[in-house]
Amino acid sequence: MEVHDYLKTLCPDLHITRGEYDEEMRYPETKTLTIGQFKLGLCHGHQVIPWGDLDSLAMLQRQLDVDILVTGHTHQFTAYKHEGGVVINPGSATGAYSSITYDVNPSFVLMDIDGLRVVVYVYELIDGEVKVDKIDFKKTTTASH
Amino acid sequence: MLKGKLKLPLPVPDKARRAFPDRLGSLVAGFDGKEEEYGGGSDLVVFEPGEELETFQPNGFVSDKESDGVENFVEDRPRPEKDGAGPVSTVQVIAVDEKRSDLEYELSRPEINLEKLQRIASAGLPDGGGLRATAWKLLLGYLPTSRDLWEKELTENRQKYAKLKEELLLSPLPWTNGNLESRQSELTRRKDEAFSYKEQDVDVDVDGPLRRHEISQEDHPLSLGKASAWHQYFQYTEMVEQIDRDLQRTHPDKKFFSGETSFSRKNRQAMKNILLLFAKLNPAIRYVQGMNEVLAPIYYVFSTDTDEKNAANAEADSFSCFVRLLSDSVDHFCQQLDNSAVGILSTLTRLSDLLKANNEELWRHLELTNKVRPQFYAFRWITLLLTQEFDFQPILRIWDCLLGNPFGVQDMLLRVCCAMLLCVKSRLLSGDFVANLKLLQHYPDINIEHLLRVAQDLSPDTSSYRLSP
Repeated sequence: MEVHDYLKTLCPDLHITRGEYDEEMRYPETKTLTIGQFKLGLCHGHQVIPWGDLDSLAMLQRQLDVDILVTGHTHQFTAYKHEGGVVINPGSATGAYSSITYDVNPSFVLMDIDGLRVVVYVYELIDGEVKVDKIDFKKTTTASH
Repeated sequence: MLKGKLKLPLPVPDKARRAFPDRLGSLVAGFDGKEEEYGGGSDLVVFEPGEELETFQPNGFVSDKESDGVENFVEDRPRPEKDGAGPVSTVQVIAVDEKRSDLEYELSRPEINLEKLQRIASAGLPDGGGLRATAWKLLLGYLPTSRDLWEKELTENRQKYAKLKEELLLSPLPWTNGNLESRQSELTRRKDEAFSYKEQDVDVDVDGPLRRHEISQEDHPLSLGKASAWHQYFQYTEMVEQIDRDLQRTHPDKKFFSGETSFSRKNRQAMKNILLLFAKLNPAIRYVQGMNEVLAPIYYVFSTDTDEKNAANAEADSFSCFVRLLSDSVDHFCQQLDNSAVGILSTLTRLSDLLKANNEELWRHLELTNKVRPQFYAFRWITLLLTQEFDFQPILRIWDCLLGNPFGVQDMLLRVCCAMLLCVKSRLLSGDFVANLKLLQHYPDINIEHLLRVAQDLSPDTSSYRLSP
């Protein structure tokens, strides 16, 4: 609840999906929204088995019919492209242990959606230092999703 | 139109030194009926008329020395007993018409006599029509004095403005959805670069993990570095929001500026473009709150020009004139220059000196007894050219006087500020720190013509006496 309120102070436009341990709050399992030219889907990912499996996530992405799927649960940053679109897992902002591993570097992601292209800025805390790098990708207008 | 000298049967010019109710002034500026500060001997500064006073006293006294054609007014000698408003007499209407036709005549000449124009302007320009707009453009040096050069100058300047806008405000790039108003072009340029190199070395169509790239120059959204295009972008966005907010609050009582009509929105958008462009071209000052207030009279006067072409190009013309007007006082907005010889504090000191030179008693009372320093009240008077101290119409009248001063806007501005103090002298002398500060920060309504006359007749502060460039 507190975290929810805190996040709202950062930006009033907040979208949340249910995580493994979210019992009190009634969040949806998945959510889709449109930003600029892109359709985005959100899903925590503990529902998709095997956890973190790309093919299964790709299937979910096709079901949601979105260009970018944002998912989590593994607490590991990944960014993957397949013919259905892009899957991004920003990792864990707090570096909390996941159900899978103890070795977690805190990380988060900022996505700059500008027309038909996206720049993803990846922020990671490695050995006490914040490292930032980026990923670019474009949506081609002829792509069929 | 009476262009010859007119000898009035009554008092000799000597008696002109006594101030009379200025009906002509009330006609031009809009009579506000509050003559409290007027009339009593203690409030008026009795002075030696300067050169200016003798040649064009609106009350109609003509000096015998005047030999070339000067605007004269047909008017009864105003009788001292008859003060207060009363219905406008035919005589006064004729006087105003006279003034208008004098101005029209001056403006129609192939070579404008700038000195003449300055004198006419200082006495007040007529509202309505395009006369004020044209006069201001000439006084600011936007229009050259040779009429046949006007067409060329205007076209060139308007084109330049359109180009500037295109370059700096609306950068259309094919790969976006077009609404780039809030995007800094630098940011998009860098992104463009980033993409162009990537295209070559990675086949984007291959599935797999997406490559991570290094970021150059700290260019990510959370960067606080000055070189970061992102940081600049966010600062820029904040500034745009500030400008929007300030424009919404500009003259909320006037339909021209306020409300959600397409008319007022168009006007606010035009002013926004001007302010943004100015900020971009002057990164050392950028946008400072209040600049919207300085722009407002200019844009209003130019937009309400009855000449269609001029009104349609009001944005471009206002931009140039706004820049010219501000160039005189731009140092006042630069914080680093505050304590320098050209900064605001130095100007405020000059105001003090001017007051001291003209009324030591008041100066002593304010500065020493009350400790009401000019910093506390005149900062806004000076930086915003008095736009916050008076209603809209009086501002236009005061600006006629500021722009018509042969020694420059700043010189007359200081005089008017000093006159503002003198006109409420009795209240100030009997007030303490709190009361006086309150009074000066919420300056009362007074007769503008009277104020301007007091200003024009002040002894100059000769230490900073200079001719305007």
